[in-house]
Amino acid sequence: MSAMAELFPIELTVNGRRRSLEVAVHHSLLDVLRDDLELTGTKECCLVGECGACTVAMNGQIVDSCLVLAVEADGAEITTVEGLAAGGRLSPLQQAFLDTGAVQCGFCTPGQLVAAADLLARNPRPSVPEIEEGLAGNLCRCGCYVQITEAVLAAAREADR
Amino acid sequence: MSTDRVGASPNRVGGVGRVTGAQRYAADIKLADALQVKLVCLPVARGRIVSIDSSAALAVPGVRFVMTAADLPQPVPRFGPQFTDRPVMAVGETKYHGEPVAAVAAETKDAAEEGARLVRVDYEALRPIVTLADALAPGADLVQDASIRPRDPLAGTNVLREHRFGWGDVDATPADLVVENSYTFPIVTHFAIEPHVFMAAPDGDGIAVWSSIQHPYWLQRILAGVLDLPLSRVRVFAPDPGGGFGGKQHAKYEPLVAFLALLTGRPCRLVLSLEQTFQAVRRTCTEVHVRTGLMSDGTLAFVDVKADYNIGAYADIADRVVGKGSYPAAGPYRVPAVRIVSRSVLSHTTPATAMRGFGNPQVNWAVESNLDEGARALGIDRRDIRLRNVARTGDTLNPVDTRCDGEWDQAVRRAAEMIGWDTPAPPGHGRGIALGFKSGPTTGLSQSTVRLLSDGSALVYAGTSDMGQGARTVWAQIVATELGVPLERITTVSGDTAVVPYDQQTSASRSTVLMGNAVLRACQDVQAKVRAMAARLHGVPEEQITVERGIVRLPDREVAIVDVVKPGLGRMAGEIVGNGMARKDAEPDHPLQGSAAFFEFNCTAVEATVDEETGDITLHKYATVSDVGKAINPLQVRMQDEGAAIQGLGHTLMEHYIYDDEGRIRNLGAIDYRIPTSMDLPLELHSDVIENADGPGPYGAKGMSEGALISAAAAVAGAVRDATGIVIRDLPLSPERVWRALQERSAR
Amino acid sequence: MHTFAYARPATLAEAVALLAEHGAAARVLAGGTDLIIRLRDGTLVPDVVIDLKRIASLRPGVREEAGLVVIGATTVMTDVAADPLVRRHFPALADAAAVVGSVQIRNRATLGGNICNASPAADTAPPLLVYDATVVAEGPGGTRRIAVDDFFVRSGVTTLAGDEIVTAIELPLPALRMGAAHERRTRRRGHDLASVTLCCGVREDGVTRLSYGSVGPRPVLRVDETGILADPAAPAEARTNILEQLLADASPSPRSMRASPAYRLAMLRVLGRRALATALERLEARA
Repeated sequence: MSAMAELFPIELTVNGRRRSLEVAVHHSLLDVLRDDLELTGTKECCLVGECGACTVAMNGQIVDSCLVLAVEADGAEITTVEGLAAGGRLSPLQQAFLDTGAVQCGFCTPGQLVAAADLLARNPRPSVPEIEEGLAGNLCRCGCYVQITEAVLAAAREADR
Repeated sequence: MSTDRVGASPNRVGGVGRVTGAQRYAADIKLADALQVKLVCLPVARGRIVSIDSSAALAVPGVRFVMTAADLPQPVPRFGPQFTDRPVMAVGETKYHGEPVAAVAAETKDAAEEGARLVRVDYEALRPIVTLADALAPGADLVQDASIRPRDPLAGTNVLREHRFGWGDVDATPADLVVENSYTFPIVTHFAIEPHVFMAAPDGDGIAVWSSIQHPYWLQRILAGVLDLPLSRVRVFAPDPGGGFGGKQHAKYEPLVAFLALLTGRPCRLVLSLEQTFQAVRRTCTEVHVRTGLMSDGTLAFVDVKADYNIGAYADIADRVVGKGSYPAAGPYRVPAVRIVSRSVLSHTTPATAMRGFGNPQVNWAVESNLDEGARALGIDRRDIRLRNVARTGDTLNPVDTRCDGEWDQAVRRAAEMIGWDTPAPPGHGRGIALGFKSGPTTGLSQSTVRLLSDGSALVYAGTSDMGQGARTVWAQIVATELGVPLERITTVSGDTAVVPYDQQTSASRSTVLMGNAVLRACQDVQAKVRAMAARLHGVPEEQITVERGIVRLPDREVAIVDVVKPGLGRMAGEIVGNGMARKDAEPDHPLQGSAAFFEFNCTAVEATVDEETGDITLHKYATVSDVGKAINPLQVRMQDEGAAIQGLGHTLMEHYIYDDEGRIRNLGAIDYRIPTSMDLPLELHSDVIENADGPGPYGAKGMSEGALISAAAAVAGAVRDATGIVIRDLPLSPERVWRALQERSAR
Repeated sequence: MHTFAYARPATLAEAVALLAEHGAAARVLAGGTDLIIRLRDGTLVPDVVIDLKRIASLRPGVREEAGLVVIGATTVMTDVAADPLVRRHFPALADAAAVVGSVQIRNRATLGGNICNASPAADTAPPLLVYDATVVAEGPGGTRRIAVDDFFVRSGVTTLAGDEIVTAIELPLPALRMGAAHERRTRRRGHDLASVTLCCGVREDGVTRLSYGSVGPRPVLRVDETGILADPAAPAEARTNILEQLLADASPSPRSMRASPAYRLAMLRVLGRRALATALERLEARA
């Protein structure tokens, strides 16, 4: 089979902005976010849905964007890490990540943040085991897990105030 | 206290970019008109290349070039930080699975991938040497042709080098008890979440290279050598790595991509997959034989260690790992007699490289575990035997090296206390304790420039790679402290060899000490110039003025530095430039060519239970305490220490490469190479620091961040032994391995 | 990734026609969490990928009808695990769905995909076998119902015809009380493929249904009708003997790198005992 890719027109909303584009049908949502839309906050690592670096929210559900074809996202609403700071201000969760020391190299951070925001949306007062289970799909090789959990707890407290 | 200064924990410099997605890692940088590169490899580790046919690949629309070794200067250039043994691409025979035999450059990733599939390589599969036993067997094939190591008496073997260290006479030293055992440490990999990225572009008469590299200046020298260019024509851009852990210290495929860029005249971009990263970097695996001699009161009489490290196909920095990692094998103890023989052994596996702990975790696991067995045999508490032997400040360790530079017993007592060592353990619970120990850098050179600008803001240039340790935050805190500039008015600059002064390397937990001192001295240089300026401005002799911590002290009053600088620079503005350098020279007669700038010391204490039916280990309490001299940024110290502990739990509990007979890694990639997730942590994990301001770095700081990883395995295994009675001398302590040991115990 | 044609049929008939047209050169895309990995690594190179997610009649969800709970094939694990009907009547299935991969994976992986993939390690297979599920398939000849025990053949192979599409999984509402539990063994506590996955269901009439996977080419169902396993008062030796008989069909591969056969077989027994004990407790609690 040739390398000539079949193109497919899609429309999607990314961080509140409507985008119409033609995508190669074998390109993942991750490819299209990073290469076509130049939203490079979402990271590429394992490409098998194990590490969570490419986590984005699709129609309000977090997914590994490496395991979603861009064509599958036709009509979808996507939130990436770039969409978390409303009006350019850090969200309480983003600020908590900085305050608790949940960011070392930072490469897993975008995925962690999108997953943590989703966790808090579903469960505004999570327990430590719930946070650990909820974020287990996001690997951090720097080993910031304890601080990430503290950040989620801090953001939950902040939202309660 | 100001939240900007040394001893506080301000938000990390570069933090906002990291939580908003704005931070640009290497793969996020788009070069205009770039060609995308894919590598072509053989499906075996060791194959003799018969022919390469690129015609089908070149017919793919968008494919511009297929580079093979024949396109390179002949003989094909070789490089390496220690030995110039690694060719830009495989020559004649591949030496490990994943070694490139061709590289396809195309307009799109899809075309490059398609082209790479269509490059036809005829090869003859040869039997690879995978294990230490294979490599050391009499008559074993040679991994490296003897001709690349001329005049080396070991060139006719697979032993790259043998290292011998020690003092005293082990054989003549009496001991009441000798404990003798063998231990193994598996092959593990860095698994930085950012896979390696290499880009290169022709740049005038030279070349520009982008790499997720820890040592940009060393890479610059390697490239200049391979390409025969002056250093001034090789510009290395080193964006902050997305995790390094040693795996990104040295050149890998940068020379290959640089040749592609020069041959095509276009920017070229190679992003490795995680699988390719696994094939490119890994830790040395090790078999260690230890004899520990003890007196009946628990005093160490001797330590006798033989360690063979499997380093893979090319040396990279791994032979240095072997030497420097085995050298401190006797630990942080006063030992009258020590003998260490370690060998770097070649095999047809991924070239091993530096990895957090640099050869020490492998030997420490063995020596600390063996000490536990001695303590048990003598009926001595395992903490107490360590306290009995651990060196005190000023004690001699190795007679030719730096003396004990910390109050290490404080860390031992503190870690033990944190898990309640002196209280009875709950039924079924076991405890373990181990000391992590490592020589800091043996040589080093870091240079820094600080520019105090006319509005009182500042720029600090420091070539350290900020790969998660938060180096730039430390530089900014030093500048804030010394010059009184608020953090939000300080910009740190790194990652460009054409702009930022030289730094030898980002490794060995050196940066806070070496670059920290360079930054501090650059600030002091600025302070001296401010002092001269204040003298001129106020008509006061310089001798009557002091400048420190952001304040200019005149005979009659104190003013902020900025209040001298603004009027001092006047209407034409300008700036005050300070330079600083920290240098630790080599010592040619020293066994490691240099004594330790400081020692890294850690104590880990653990309380665990074991599910006797399944072999699952549960870590109930985990305490890690490091002697850091001074925590310039306590939060970052904690992040490093706890992160190192969790990374150490990876090789302790679950990580290892599994090879097949063809020398291929079977568990290649994230599905079957398991690392700890957020659900694999100790139920309680706490860290603490010992601070006595007794380090050689700014404000008494020492390097840290590796110690907590070094001691993890022995501490956990000790707790498992304590809980169950089983002794395991091979890592990882996977549920299955623990279960097997439990079965054997029951059968006895 | 190789290129392919992408089809997004709006009706089941269209999808079935596409499958019939392309035969083995077509691949069905539901959640994609397995398929996309295999498209990327080149183990699958289809000419056409047929995305089921725009088919109106395949809308995901769980409903109750005529004594059955019907789970749409494209229902994702997250929704299976959270669904009140599933949790009430088939809690071990909810438990199994809740441990498939990470949150991200569970938001995409479908129940239909999990069984069509026919991985011996599929976590939902043992509970579906214990709960006596039926697979509903649509093909050119119309609708076919396949008992789930007749569905699995071996790794990656089912009795589904090449031109059939799984549309739903039906679970009969239990006429008798049952306590059931799912257990699994992994190499770490975080998400992982199971090296043993097992479900045990004990009915109030004394029948015990035991199913296990990842210890042979396909998940196995064995039933004890003696009542001995369900009777905590029965002699331990008798219960052990029955359990051994039920577990005798395990034949784990020596080639797997995830666990050795000896460990899998030993863990099968540990998990079997644990699941049985939990199942009995749950049966008690339902009384």
